[in-house]
Amino acid sequence: MPRPAPIFAPPFSRPPSRVAIRRLPNYQSDIAAVLHETLREFDLPVRGKTVLLKPNFVGADPLGMTNTHPAVVGAARETFLRLGAAAVLVGEGPALDRDTQAIVESIFLRDYLGPLSKIFVDLNVDDVERVSLRTRASRLSELYFPRTVLGVDFLVSLPKMKTHHWAGVTLSLKNMFGVVPGSCYGWPKNVLHWAGIDRAILDINAALRPDFAIVDGIVGMEGNGPIQGLSKPCGVLVLGDDPVAVDATCARVMGLLPEKIGYIAQAATLLGHIQQEKIQQIGESISSTRTPFAVLEAFKQLRSEA
Amino acid sequence: MWHKDFRETGKFPDAGIPRVCPEPHHTRRIQGYMASALVGDLFLPYLLGAQNQNGGWGFHVGSVSRAEPTVWALTALRECASIPDHEESVTRALRCLAAAQLPDGSWPSSPELLQGSWVTSLASLALLGRDTHSKSVAAGLHWLTGDVPGEARLLRRVAGLLRKRNSVASQNDSYFGWSWTPGTASWVEPTAYAIIFIRSVPQDLVSANTRRRLGMAEMMLYDRMCPGGGWNCGNPMVYGVAGESQVSPTVWALLALRERQERPEVQKSLQWLAGSWKSIRSPGSLALALMALHVYGLPDPGLAQALCSMYEEKEILWNVPDVAWAALALTGATNWLKHKPVGTAD
Repeated sequence: MPRPAPIFAPPFSRPPSRVAIRRLPNYQSDIAAVLHETLREFDLPVRGKTVLLKPNFVGADPLGMTNTHPAVVGAARETFLRLGAAAVLVGEGPALDRDTQAIVESIFLRDYLGPLSKIFVDLNVDDVERVSLRTRASRLSELYFPRTVLGVDFLVSLPKMKTHHWAGVTLSLKNMFGVVPGSCYGWPKNVLHWAGIDRAILDINAALRPDFAIVDGIVGMEGNGPIQGLSKPCGVLVLGDDPVAVDATCARVMGLLPEKIGYIAQAATLLGHIQQEKIQQIGESISSTRTPFAVLEAFKQLRSEA
Repeated sequence: MWHKDFRETGKFPDAGIPRVCPEPHHTRRIQGYMASALVGDLFLPYLLGAQNQNGGWGFHVGSVSRAEPTVWALTALRECASIPDHEESVTRALRCLAAAQLPDGSWPSSPELLQGSWVTSLASLALLGRDTHSKSVAAGLHWLTGDVPGEARLLRRVAGLLRKRNSVASQNDSYFGWSWTPGTASWVEPTAYAIIFIRSVPQDLVSANTRRRLGMAEMMLYDRMCPGGGWNCGNPMVYGVAGESQVSPTVWALLALRERQERPEVQKSLQWLAGSWKSIRSPGSLALALMALHVYGLPDPGLAQALCSMYEEKEILWNVPDVAWAALALTGATNWLKHKPVGTAD
């Protein structure tokens, strides 16, 4: 049964979204307990379902600032299983390194998930199916997506909180670039760059909107992200069932204006809420967790104090 | 770990995988018993068992046949196994590969796609030297020579002339090679694949324009080298920060530039590769590194041992190209890189 296509709705016809900010000082914290407590509040329809967690794995990461931390991935998997999911897979298709195994080994993923062969899917080399793009915001009319992504019941975007030297920030919407298979488009997935990064993000999410987003902001990255920036401890997880609202909230926590981040503003016209008054905050407030991230000069207009 | 099951029970998890032995002269070149056993008892049977009904291979057992894994499995079987034993398998693979070619001479990266891609270089290389497929190879060469990357198009070139150097990524955009998919930018790996293939074709079949283009593609590779030697999948320098080299693009670039050993970029990148393998944590990259060092006459027994150990000791994610590369690397097979006529008697 393929995933149903997301419903497009303008902001005025959408019910308010809920976004939780939870404070976690480090990766040694009991992340699973916090996730379980928070996800129960969302009453997610995952019992008996197959869940796919889509983290952001980019490369070797000795400082823990580039990839979604495997502790968060492991805790999320444990939580969805506790919530009754029949299976919880982890899938990623890194854009900047063809050797996915080298990446997952370099971050010691198996220490958190156990043997990977039955859990982990390299989305870059999965079998693919053609999907027509409904929004056609970019010049692309179709993309080929991994069958695993199209076949699961519940898709969770699990990115790292980072600045990005082309897109401004990379959060749950931009993280979906990783479902586009390298074995069809190469490394990097340059066809998306040529189609326009902001617009391609919108097209992908309009075709495969994540059902839930969990952003690892315990330690993020600022400056020249997504791989060459600096470590930025922020001490939060940001979660919600509206990825646009989650990204908008993350941007505010990072001291940035989501309305000025092209793809978040565009996604807000169809896929979710960007306006703060349409987002019901759970847990910590934005103001109490705000941790301004440094941005490159080219993105200084994104700063909320600018 | 199915190799463990195999050792204990003598059975592979996939029923019906035939047992084969590597060709005797290859086993002698392998470092010790373990490598020979891995190639003969594990890698080749895995590849034969993973072959689909249509003769091709997917990236994994049971997945849809695609050109890239088919090329590598086919190459490994031809180079590492005794051909008479595997003739039927090789013939089916060649037929599958030829059938996947699009009318314009290119190969798509997956059969569902209607557009050619970088795998055209690899598929053409795999079919090179066979009379039956000489037309396919010629069509592949023709498509490649006409496939220019996005930055080589007129408007982009004019903009490039005005700018000369890319201010964000610090690279010379006036050099171009080949792209992953038509109309996008040149990148190291597809450029290296194209150079490897076109340099393998009898040079009287290569036009002067294409030879000039190969020269420019080599310049592009030199320009895109990371400051510390080696290449990556992104840019060598972004906003003034040096990119980190990676094994796969470094290996393919080195294989493409193997006749340019005098170039300092090649020497620096070889040094990077030879000094980096100890930190590699995956069989695919270890196999590629070993393959490149073999070609440059620098095989490292420690590296071969590390590759064997990975398959012996670790629970790894198996896929067809990694296994094929491991077989090629451990047998030191390099025939597939040698110059060939377009077609010879099959």
